[in-house]
Amino acid sequence: MVRLPYLTALTTLFSYGLLFAFGQMRDFFRKILDLWKSKNLQGYAPICLGLEDFYTRRLYLRIQDCFNRPIASAPDAWIDVVERYSKDSNKTLHRTSKINKCLNLGSYNYLGFAAADEYCTPRVIESLKQYSPSTCSARVDGGTTKLHAELEEVVARFVRKPAAILFGMGYATNSAIIPALIGKGGLIISDSLNHNSIVNGARGSGATVRVFQHNSAAHLEEVLREQIAEGQPRTHRPWKKIIVIIEGIYSMEGELCKLPEIIAVCKKYKAYTYLDEAHSIGAIGKSGRGVCELLGVDTADMDIMMGTFTKSFGSCGGYIAASKEIIQHLKNTCPAHFYATSMSPPAAQQVISAIKVVLGEDGSNRGAQKLAQIRDNSNFFRSELHKMGFEVLGDKDSPVMPIMLYNPAKIPAFSRECLRRNLAVVTVAFPATPLLLARARICISASHTREDMIKALEVISKVGDLVGIKYFPVEPQKHLTDKIQKKLE
Amino acid sequence: MAKLYVETTPPPDLNKNTEWFMYPGVWTTYILILFFSWLLVLSVFGCTPGTAWTIVNLVHFAITYQFFHWRKGTPFAEDQGIYNNLTWWEQIDNGKQLTRNRKFLTVVPVVLYLIASHTTDYQQPMLFLNTLAVIVLVVAKFPNMHKVRIFGINADR
Repeated sequence: MVRLPYLTALTTLFSYGLLFAFGQMRDFFRKILDLWKSKNLQGYAPICLGLEDFYTRRLYLRIQDCFNRPIASAPDAWIDVVERYSKDSNKTLHRTSKINKCLNLGSYNYLGFAAADEYCTPRVIESLKQYSPSTCSARVDGGTTKLHAELEEVVARFVRKPAAILFGMGYATNSAIIPALIGKGGLIISDSLNHNSIVNGARGSGATVRVFQHNSAAHLEEVLREQIAEGQPRTHRPWKKIIVIIEGIYSMEGELCKLPEIIAVCKKYKAYTYLDEAHSIGAIGKSGRGVCELLGVDTADMDIMMGTFTKSFGSCGGYIAASKEIIQHLKNTCPAHFYATSMSPPAAQQVISAIKVVLGEDGSNRGAQKLAQIRDNSNFFRSELHKMGFEVLGDKDSPVMPIMLYNPAKIPAFSRECLRRNLAVVTVAFPATPLLLARARICISASHTREDMIKALEVISKVGDLVGIKYFPVEPQKHLTDKIQKKLE
Repeated sequence: MAKLYVETTPPPDLNKNTEWFMYPGVWTTYILILFFSWLLVLSVFGCTPGTAWTIVNLVHFAITYQFFHWRKGTPFAEDQGIYNNLTWWEQIDNGKQLTRNRKFLTVVPVVLYLIASHTTDYQQPMLFLNTLAVIVLVVAKFPNMHKVRIFGINADR
């Protein structure tokens, strides 16, 4: 549920219309001018039709300097951003050798493991010396080291499932596993705001895909009933299996998934559940075990739990945790297991050490401290932003908070003004989000100190005044209760 | 002016090319754009109001025909070309016919025609052009014309 002022909706649509009109005019003149230039295609077809990349050429390239910013240090609480300049209004960008030290509000560094850590880094360096940076092989050939076996056990124990399997890349985990689990004749029902990796995996599997309204257990039930009654398209035979795919924290909304209601619906209709905990594992829950722990759902009720190591554990890669039979089946069928290079051993060691810190098995209570720190930081930051009058999405305790911008011109304005004041934020626009709902996404980390956050809040408040995104200025207390009421509905 | 707020849940439409049309404020923006372009034409050309409405009607015809009924596909490559054979009109609302959006978009050219012909007092050259515009636009929006390509015009590349 997003509230926006009506005038903002009108002006946003009008601005996009204007940008579209200008883009079309420029394309029209470009076509005329190109009639004179000779085309050196030599009979080959052009790689892309002029219509397909219209959005990239005429809208994205205008504000290209707000995306893809190169960094020159580890993505800790403070990050070095390389300055770039452009001589042809952002069509090409050139790096300089100057570096800006900025406060980092854009990295998924939830527990602060992204920079050197006193427990993890010495062990990672040692494993780098022993096992070398790459296994140079797929898991099934020669790429399973002791670290991989240990990490699979540690992950299974952490997530509270019987077994786990690892992959070298989080995106590839989703897009390679879903086709191995379900094929033609099956039905995938996925939340409408699911990540692109799930969408790709679902498309690649060949199963029929249906979408249910974001976080709505009622609509999921409606879709399930309709699909089970109709059966497969054309033949109307019963579906071979039904998988419902949801995420723990939706990265563009910062919202938690309504897990208990959705699990209840899936159990009633005997559909399998697949939970993607990319952003929630390690960051929420009393001991960091993710959204199941936070919402009190028994992990035996989730059929397949997927997660990545990139966000909370400061490494790279993904895992799937499920019952022993499913994991054994995946080890025998999943192409990412047979052909993709296995996880890098130092990365695996980083995850093992990070999980040990989170669970307190390294002998200190730094894990519990980090978890408490990120919870306090997120709640503090979110409540302060609310008080200032910004429209901030996301549930309590969630470390991801999008600040709504709406108008397309405010996206580069916010991004550039923040960078000028040494604050690095990530802005997201269409097509990663719906057209009207462009936003700046803030990711809070356990390594942000109170002073860092106060400084960030000052800068955001100043830039918010300049850019004009404080949409709820009066009576913030009243709007907070309104929002809480809406969440309860 | 007191701030009016609207609430919206993101609609479950996967086609990014058309899902923006399901948000609140789209109809109002459309109508306001037409009204302000009439004012613009009046101020630039200094003609009679009727001629201005005729110009708005004809330009509206050209633009909406080009973008709703001629151009096919979507302006981004991420959907891997599954809509490459469908015009925008055939894509909206997932191809469902006679939805509220479609009815609104069918009524707008008719209302424009009525305003334009009334303000020009039904005089000849303007009336003919306006009638042509409204007939083409309304026929193109009939449910029976879904995916129909007359004489193969604008069929697949």
